[in-house]
Amino acid sequence: MAENPSSKIKGCVSEVVNIDTTGLPSTYNDTKIVILPRDPVWLFVYWEVPKAKIEELKNACGSDFDAARLTVRVYDITDISFTGDNANRTFDVSVNPNSENWYINVGEHNRVWCADIGYIVAGGKFISVARSNPIAMPRQGVSAITDEQWGLLKLEFDKLFKLTGGNLSSAELVALMRARWEQITNLSLPSSRGALPSSSLSSMALPAQNREHPQSQHKNKNFWLKADTEIIIYGATEPDAELSVQGKHVPLSKDGSFTLRFYLKDGEHSYPIEATSSCKTMQKKITFVVKRETK
Amino acid sequence: MAKGYWCLQLHAHLPFVRHPEYPDFLEEDWLYEAISETYIPLLIVFENFLKDGVDFRLTMTITPSLANMLSDSMLQSRYYNKLNKLIELSEKELWRTQNTEFAPAAEMYETKLKAIRHLWHSYHGNILNAFKKFQDLGKIEIITCCATHGFLPLTGNDSAIKAQIRAAVKDYERHFGRRPRGIWLAECAYRPGVDEFLKEEGIRFFFLESHGILYGTPRPKYGIFAPVYCPSGVAAFSRDIETAHQVWSAESGYPGDPAYREFYRDLGYDLDYDYVKPYLHDDGVRRNISIKYHRITGKVGLTEKAPYIPRDAVNKAAEHAGNFVFNRERQIEYLRDALEKEPLVISMYDAELFGHWWFEGPDFINFLFRKIAFDQNTFKPVTPIEYLDMFPKHQVITPSASSWGDKGYYEVWLNNTNDWIYKHLHKAESRMEELAKKFPDAQGILARALNQMARELMLAQSSDWAFIMTTRTMVEYAEKRTRQHVINFISLYDQINENRIDESFLSGLEYKNNIFPNMDYKIFL
Repeated sequence: MAENPSSKIKGCVSEVVNIDTTGLPSTYNDTKIVILPRDPVWLFVYWEVPKAKIEELKNACGSDFDAARLTVRVYDITDISFTGDNANRTFDVSVNPNSENWYINVGEHNRVWCADIGYIVAGGKFISVARSNPIAMPRQGVSAITDEQWGLLKLEFDKLFKLTGGNLSSAELVALMRARWEQITNLSLPSSRGALPSSSLSSMALPAQNREHPQSQHKNKNFWLKADTEIIIYGATEPDAELSVQGKHVPLSKDGSFTLRFYLKDGEHSYPIEATSSCKTMQKKITFVVKRETK
Repeated sequence: MAKGYWCLQLHAHLPFVRHPEYPDFLEEDWLYEAISETYIPLLIVFENFLKDGVDFRLTMTITPSLANMLSDSMLQSRYYNKLNKLIELSEKELWRTQNTEFAPAAEMYETKLKAIRHLWHSYHGNILNAFKKFQDLGKIEIITCCATHGFLPLTGNDSAIKAQIRAAVKDYERHFGRRPRGIWLAECAYRPGVDEFLKEEGIRFFFLESHGILYGTPRPKYGIFAPVYCPSGVAAFSRDIETAHQVWSAESGYPGDPAYREFYRDLGYDLDYDYVKPYLHDDGVRRNISIKYHRITGKVGLTEKAPYIPRDAVNKAAEHAGNFVFNRERQIEYLRDALEKEPLVISMYDAELFGHWWFEGPDFINFLFRKIAFDQNTFKPVTPIEYLDMFPKHQVITPSASSWGDKGYYEVWLNNTNDWIYKHLHKAESRMEELAKKFPDAQGILARALNQMARELMLAQSSDWAFIMTTRTMVEYAEKRTRQHVINFISLYDQINENRIDESFLSGLEYKNNIFPNMDYKIFL
């Protein structure tokens, strides 16, 4: 039964917030615990243990209760009918004795959880005070993106996954997915088309304009073959570094990673990638040279 | 024959803000600004489509809380007074700006505001009837939303979820004369199973954020370019990422164009104090008054902004509409080949983006549907219902829990600024169910008290309050609203249990928090 890292930090936001709850009851005198999902890995837990209940426990346990620690015990109850002792996995989170809620990182995706609030008393015994509702966490679903249209996306996700140590949360992926679309629309399109800035062109416009004109293609639709090439450049550096590819500034993700997609036409192309440290004293350079030849 | 379809969904919503206890209330401006800047300008665009024979299709949420405000006679008359004052100022402004570079902008405001008043008159102050007209003509599909924009996945029990949907359906019938066929789940917040409650109320479709379908089980064969059926049989439509970015992106989106009107440079701050004072709130503090004479210009400070030239801005909106249509044609052609079926691209936005934030947004929509109708044959605009009627066969998947908030899940509505509300909301939700079961046939004052409890609970449940707490602006108001409705709820609960309902207290609440005049607490059963 490993101690969960989330017992060390309460939630992710550390800023102190003053909340005015004037006029609201501080307790409803219930004995209960409720869990809510925040995202695919974080649970929010709140509970009420009335003073009378604590007194009752003290009387029942005697001196064993002296050093009792208020604890949230979390159960993985995926695909089982939970009876209290058949959980797939269990872990404890020690919580501040004066707290009434906690954020817990469950560390695994796509599982179903429930939790008890209780005390660990002398000898390590856990005394449960209340049990929560079950919660199926929001899906973490990269692997779902497999159909043709999203093939490229999946490739990039896999790479992003590796770059960040393979434990990206789904929420971060959504953010990356969005950032990626911005990068693509900002960087990978030719700027010569029309009067508009390249950033307002559809990424779908790119393959279309490099094929035959749509109308002429429509006529001999009986049998045809289309093929084209794109190149994806990706990597990572210090998050505060300056990065350029082909001399153009490239914004980095929070974790210092980057990914770019270019249309690759015939010929030999050079992609110099330069990173400059934030203090401007150190530089690293990698250059890829890619050749395409259509036969 | 179209190669594919495009669906525009606009989500029009404001939290229920109505304060008869004050003659003048700052937060009511949210509604007045949205009416003048978004709702009526859109209606004017629709009226002109009709006049010019332009076929158009769009889907629009009018949330129950918004519908209750738009149909409220007190808010209607307060809005009308505001509008008349603004017209008075715009007339004065014609003289003040004469022969200056601001004259074209001043003339534009005077003309627009009068056109707004004209439309307001022609619907006798209830613009819901205008939206209803376009729905009855088959041009727009009005959908409903959770009654008070309650965030369903963080709701404490099924009875409260059902009540949010039932109250919405009932209220929709009151305004639009039939039951809703679609719903916008507040904040697009979904968890598997919510669709079962929609099914019970005869709702046929709802919208999801992209990853709601992309991360669904099993994998969606057509990604986000076709609807799916949930296990309940209710259809889910999800957002296209690309069109979202074309409009929303702060960097590359259309609304950031230098020719467009600058939102943050407002006459409320620029005019001589004595001249503008009659148009400010009673406290006399300088605030935005919704007349703005500058354009975005570029990345310059507010004092460096150049004068707004309405003609240039309208031309830019036409250009952007053309670009949007061009991109949809390419996207749909590309998808048609890749998917080997007619794709459906869904663009969904907050309605208030069009007009309120992006002043030229209604012009953009105007050009957009004209270009779609006359300049291309690649795709057709449809409503979700039309699409389902044309293509009834779709993959069955269980979508993933998701929302359209930052990071895609529930964190915006569950973090250390707002997590304290859930203890109180959940308790109230279970107490509401408890009393509904205890008094399944209440009459007279007891029924009134139970109905008001239901109103107070629902008003406390608005996801807007939790959202505002997260954004850290106007927090005091949001916290106060949450507290006050919970406290009202607890008072009524105690009074009912102790058999001592205070009728004057109850009447006061009924007068103040009068949302859902036909509320029936039995929806919690």
